[in-house]
Amino acid sequence: MLLTKKVLMGKLEDKLENYRYTMESCNHCGQCKWLLGPKTKGWDFAEICPIHMKFNFDAYSGQGLLNIAQELLDGQLKYEAGLIDLIYSCTTCGACDINCKSIRDMEVLDTILALRAKCVEDNQGPKPVHMKIAESVEQTHNIYGQAHERRSAWISREVQLTDGSPVAYFTGCAASYESSDIARNTAKILNAGGIEFSHLGGDEHCCGCPLWRTGQVKAATKQVEHNLDAFKKHGVKTIITSCAECYGSLRGFYPRVAKLEVEVFHISEVVQKLLAEGRLKFTRPLDMKITYHDPCLLGRLSEPYVHWSGEIKAFGYHEPPKQWRRGNRGVYDAPRQVLAAIPGVELIEMTRNEENALCCGGGGGVREAFPEFARWTASERLREARSTNADTVVSCCPFCQSNFGDVLDASGDGLKYRDFTQIVADAL
Amino acid sequence: MPLPRPIYEELERVVGVENISDRPYILAGIRAAMPGGPKPPSPEAVLLPGSTEEVRQIVRICNRYHVPYIATVSSLIQFAYPSGPGTVMLQMKRMNQIEEINVEDRYAVIQPGVRQGQLFTELMKVGLTYPVAAVGPAGSVLANFACSSGDNHGQHGASRTNRYLAGIEWIEPTGEVVRLGSLANDDGWFCADGPGPSLRGLIKGFAGQWGGMGVVTRIAISLNAWRGPRAFPTEGRSPAYQIRLDKKCHKVLIFKFPTLDQVRDAMLEIGKAEIGQAVLKYFYATAALLATESANEFWELWNSGLFQKELSLPLYVFLSTWSPEEMEYEERVLRDIIAETGGEAVDEQVLRIYEDNMDFFMLVGFLQRVLRLGGGWAPCKLSADSVTHMFEVAKAIPDFMTEFIEQGKILNAPNNFQIIPLEYGHSAHIELLFLWDRTRPDAKQIPMEFMRASIEADIKNGHHGTMPPGIPAAAGALGHLYSNSQRWAQAIKNAFDPQGVSNPH
Repeated sequence: MLLTKKVLMGKLEDKLENYRYTMESCNHCGQCKWLLGPKTKGWDFAEICPIHMKFNFDAYSGQGLLNIAQELLDGQLKYEAGLIDLIYSCTTCGACDINCKSIRDMEVLDTILALRAKCVEDNQGPKPVHMKIAESVEQTHNIYGQAHERRSAWISREVQLTDGSPVAYFTGCAASYESSDIARNTAKILNAGGIEFSHLGGDEHCCGCPLWRTGQVKAATKQVEHNLDAFKKHGVKTIITSCAECYGSLRGFYPRVAKLEVEVFHISEVVQKLLAEGRLKFTRPLDMKITYHDPCLLGRLSEPYVHWSGEIKAFGYHEPPKQWRRGNRGVYDAPRQVLAAIPGVELIEMTRNEENALCCGGGGGVREAFPEFARWTASERLREARSTNADTVVSCCPFCQSNFGDVLDASGDGLKYRDFTQIVADAL
Repeated sequence: MPLPRPIYEELERVVGVENISDRPYILAGIRAAMPGGPKPPSPEAVLLPGSTEEVRQIVRICNRYHVPYIATVSSLIQFAYPSGPGTVMLQMKRMNQIEEINVEDRYAVIQPGVRQGQLFTELMKVGLTYPVAAVGPAGSVLANFACSSGDNHGQHGASRTNRYLAGIEWIEPTGEVVRLGSLANDDGWFCADGPGPSLRGLIKGFAGQWGGMGVVTRIAISLNAWRGPRAFPTEGRSPAYQIRLDKKCHKVLIFKFPTLDQVRDAMLEIGKAEIGQAVLKYFYATAALLATESANEFWELWNSGLFQKELSLPLYVFLSTWSPEEMEYEERVLRDIIAETGGEAVDEQVLRIYEDNMDFFMLVGFLQRVLRLGGGWAPCKLSADSVTHMFEVAKAIPDFMTEFIEQGKILNAPNNFQIIPLEYGHSAHIELLFLWDRTRPDAKQIPMEFMRASIEADIKNGHHGTMPPGIPAAAGALGHLYSNSQRWAQAIKNAFDPQGVSNPH
């Protein structure tokens, strides 16, 4: 059956040209823009690509970005400011990737990320605001440029840490500095469940996710290498995160750099297990109608990365067989089961949920570079949340929280956003 | 040749600055067609009109300056690309409203950007449905009703889409707005043939004019009653969704036959009995692609020989009834017919695939899996005639296909064709799907070579096996089989498009 050979490698140092098979395979079927057929529920909420919803041109979509990447590689397209803006307006939410993979064997999102890395390599990207974030991380080890010494400032006297525990809570930049209630609630939950955990203190640096997803791969790699060293130094075997971006990065990016020798759990998975084992009980009813928003990096993009290197033979046969990340093994059940277990909580699904969830609009550096577009996407998602008649949107990502917050603050219609950890802590 | 600035600016004033572009990075998204195939000419600009009036103005400007134009929505097929240089592309996706669903008179009025998945699921809510062209959920409904062949898996108990057109709003190639059928007299959208002018044949004909006759901006389609639930009872996660309707009123039965003649006889008898929603002699390699989740899985299944053994000469039947009693009747009649025509049930594991995924007979949400082997894919034949004639065409397929298989140019799947009856066997449609490895050095030549061989076989055999072709060379070769309809089509186009600007080549 062997007619031709092509080599596709999935390693970090991959170049865009290694995704040529994907770029050349697109048939413009439109599935990267539209919800999967079996999940469609009507005219409204049927699209899944934020940039295509907003800008309408095909170039603004997974398909368009593949075409652009191919023309750039082939020298048919030259860099210009508008092109860089287009490439960086994508939230890298991966909805195109997962929808495409329901029908095709293509790596749409990895191609988009490689395209961004090429822009950086060619000194055309990222956007200045993204470079500033990279500088902050380099200098202060967090994305906000705040003093590194303050990274553990959220740890109050009530938090019971167990130094030397092989279980560590990886707090992440957002919960350490901007949304410290998430960190405190996470600690409260872990303490209530009797989980002994440690904290890396000053050895915890930014996970690298915002750098990875804006194409600043070298800078992101430095973060990975540092944190992996820190895990070793502290004898960590298990990481618990409360941040979707940290979680998705630890599982989806770190293995591209080095073998990940720690287990990674999201706090929702931990709570699910504690409830099942009877180590945690909800004692306070909450009278709430909740709709749950799946963060991209906790949902469809959270499957562990598995390196593949080999040949794509005739008629798409992958030798050796490739383990595809199709988005169906994300963390979907844990947060839902936990929320549904809280007395008084009614959980209502949005049309676009789980692997088909619409992005909040804030990912991939979009909130920093294109805040107006980020707010537009958040408004779209919240319009869907309102259609369920829920009074509260719950999610597990401080970046979704910030982006939704920008819009909810202005709307004043009563719809609230709460982090998963807040709801759980309130119900204990 | 870039679009002259004054013309661009005039177009920009019509649609607004955010809905037009001639930047190369925007055009990159609309000038790559079939993988491994020839690249179509790049459009010089793309526009996103938001209303019929905007389309009308754009077309008038194009006529004034002799600028070719083509309207498209999702651009899956090669006909949805400019046929020559200097073209502006109208992407109709902003015109995406379902304007009306009339439950009482059973019609829906839609704009070009409405997708199959959207309309189908909206109609489910009110107990109605329509024949969903087998193009996948992201395809434009209007494009498949007004501009393409529109065959579908359920047309045995319904029909092709052209039978369902109930009204058309059409921008002539010169920019005049024409409303066809009852709409012309402001009588609503119930009938394409009047009272009022009936010109739908000019626009639609058998398969549409592929952008060569102006722009269709709205259509009304007739609707059928829907026997299923008000929403898909979808279980599972991508890509392993399952959709099972209540077996009391919805049932899949698949049979295999020793010969094509027996498949034909069973198909005709089922039609005479007027039972069943869907009856198909389906493609077996396509079926294997739809049933698997990766190219490797496909090869595992294909190399096992299961689908070749069970589905080389199959008859898929989907019974959909209002009551269990009706189901019992239809099933008994069906089983009698199968017994009389020498069919037998396929392996249980094959049947289960379809019992778990009844969407195959509805929206066909995973149809694009046919592209999974790298995207080297093309349909061939695409004709319609009597059931008997379609089977004669099918029997002649090996005469020209075997050589391509033996040379390793295409997938070894000689029975990868479908025959679907229309209107209980009043006529039938045939489609031969061939798949080639697009990484072969000769990949670009394979589709044209194959189609040429197919047409030559039709001519030799006197078969109406191929859709009246739009490509001039093919039309010239095949036209006499269709009363030289291409000459009529060209004369009509010349009359309506004197400037030759509506996708003219």
